[in-house]
Amino acid sequence: MTPAPRPDERSEAEPPGIPGFGTWRGVYLFVFGWFVLVVILLTVFTRIFS
Amino acid sequence: MNVADWVVLLGTIVGIAAYGSWRTRHVRSLSTYLRGNTSTGWGTIGLSVMATQASAITFLSIPGQGFESGIGFVQNYFGLPLALIVVCAVFLPMYRRLNVYTAYEFLGQRFDEKTRLLAAGLFLLQRGLATGVTIYAPAIIISTVLGWPLDLVIVFTGLLVIVYTVTGGSEAVALTHKWQMAVISAGMVTAMVVLLLRLPDGLGFTGAASVAGALGKLQAVDFSLDPSRRYTVWTGVFGGLFLSLSYFGTDQSQVQRYIGGAALREGRLGLMFNAVLKIPMQFVILLLGALLFVFYQFAPPPVFFNQVEWRRHAQDGRFRAIEAEHASAVAQSQSAIRAWLQARASDDTAREASARAAMVAASSRTDAIRAEAKAALVAADPRAKTKDSDYVFITFILTQLPHGAVGLLVAVMFAAALSSKASELAALGTTTTIDFWRHFRPLAAADEARNMRVARRFTALWGVFAVAFALFAGFAENLIEAINILGSIFYGVLLGLFLVAFFLRRVGGSAVFFAAVTAQALVIVMYFSLNIGYLWYNLIGCAACIALSVALQAVLPPRALDDEGRAG
Repeated sequence: MTPAPRPDERSEAEPPGIPGFGTWRGVYLFVFGWFVLVVILLTVFTRIFS
Repeated sequence: MNVADWVVLLGTIVGIAAYGSWRTRHVRSLSTYLRGNTSTGWGTIGLSVMATQASAITFLSIPGQGFESGIGFVQNYFGLPLALIVVCAVFLPMYRRLNVYTAYEFLGQRFDEKTRLLAAGLFLLQRGLATGVTIYAPAIIISTVLGWPLDLVIVFTGLLVIVYTVTGGSEAVALTHKWQMAVISAGMVTAMVVLLLRLPDGLGFTGAASVAGALGKLQAVDFSLDPSRRYTVWTGVFGGLFLSLSYFGTDQSQVQRYIGGAALREGRLGLMFNAVLKIPMQFVILLLGALLFVFYQFAPPPVFFNQVEWRRHAQDGRFRAIEAEHASAVAQSQSAIRAWLQARASDDTAREASARAAMVAASSRTDAIRAEAKAALVAADPRAKTKDSDYVFITFILTQLPHGAVGLLVAVMFAAALSSKASELAALGTTTTIDFWRHFRPLAAADEARNMRVARRFTALWGVFAVAFALFAGFAENLIEAINILGSIFYGVLLGLFLVAFFLRRVGGSAVFFAAVTAQALVIVMYFSLNIGYLWYNLIGCAACIALSVALQAVLPPRALDDEGRAG
């Protein structure tokens, strides 16, 4: 069998080029944090209007 | 529709298609045709990913869903941002590193050809069937409401999309997506603004939201653990995660949108753009539906929104009686809402509670009469179409928007239909060419010009198939659900194949192949014998494929392992 290839490690080192973000991990954490915030806001919205 | 509407509609839809064909008429490179231009930026990729997912059904059915059932459907998208993070971190770098045209090529390199053909076959089966629905769904609604011949709408949209997709391939698809998304955004903003302006004086957004909330339309999140509930936070996060991971990570219509581009960064940022915007966008579309519900509490709505179907069957006095009863119930409901708004402003808790109960009861009575109207339609003709929520938004567009804006909103529906259709055709043509045709004609792989001709022919053939399927097949009424159910049946196993490929390095081709076939059969049997929310089938199919792969790998005879070792 062919072993699973590993993701290109250089791609992980490549900076995202977004001001304030030095690594892709930072971008992913931001997106995850945004998702959590959206769910919290929707929960609050539900509480206010239901 | 008047002349201004026609000018806006044809100007945008035909104009964008002609622009896409003209700009990409000189595409000669197979890579550009199948993966798009190498200079494509993240904005174009992001819009293209979004346009592929947002079909016309999104803009016709989802406001209707908000109108009928409230905004809880937004939870369906909770798994999407999480899935896109995984796709960015794991799937995309691998596809780019291996320089593949299709996601299934990767499986051929990792396992063997039979596993690649199985995955590509599952994709063609699922997407090929869905492709007829994507063209038929908006056509049936638009043709019914506007009185245009259904066949003409199907053939017109089908031919338009075939022309520019066959001409410019993936590059034309991405180019037209950008402008189609601009039309869609402008149209939806226009509709929301007009809706807010048409609400009764003094009600405003907050008042309308309060009414919608009190009548149960604004429950965005539901933390219930009841597995029979279709949309909860848990089905959204877990089922939705697996559905989105399968769709964005393994469905060629999406993979093709982001594997091109100038660099890995562009694809990643395009996907993150969707991860951030998708839930808010769906929320706004659903909210539009909930606000339409409030609007129709004050502007007398028809008892049944598909008026063409209603007039076809509602011939006798029984239907006139239902209409009169409905008009009376709507008037009472309107009075009850006004009484509740006054009670709410008075700060008298007991009065407010009593007025709220009266308002809910009046609204329930209106719902009961609508249900009675649907039952009367079925009694008159068992084949009558009783789902009218898809007609709510288009009815609002045609009766409330000014001329010009009507043309723009009809253009939104066509733009959405063309954008998702184009991605599907390009993906079906590419997969058929790369994973099947080249597999059986290995010597032709080096002939780029021949590959281009074949890819164009297969794309055109899939387009003709989609049009023919839409013209001659009979479809279920609830089309958006039909597409999601179809996806959920096949996507889980497809995702399982990819997760084994990425994360279980010891599992080989034979184990994963037989595991996938068994898991797919299991999901189909469960679908026909159990009553659980369909999003769970994504999780079940994926888990079964992974577990069976590991188990089979442990018991497969050493000879099979040796064969795989040689093949690898």
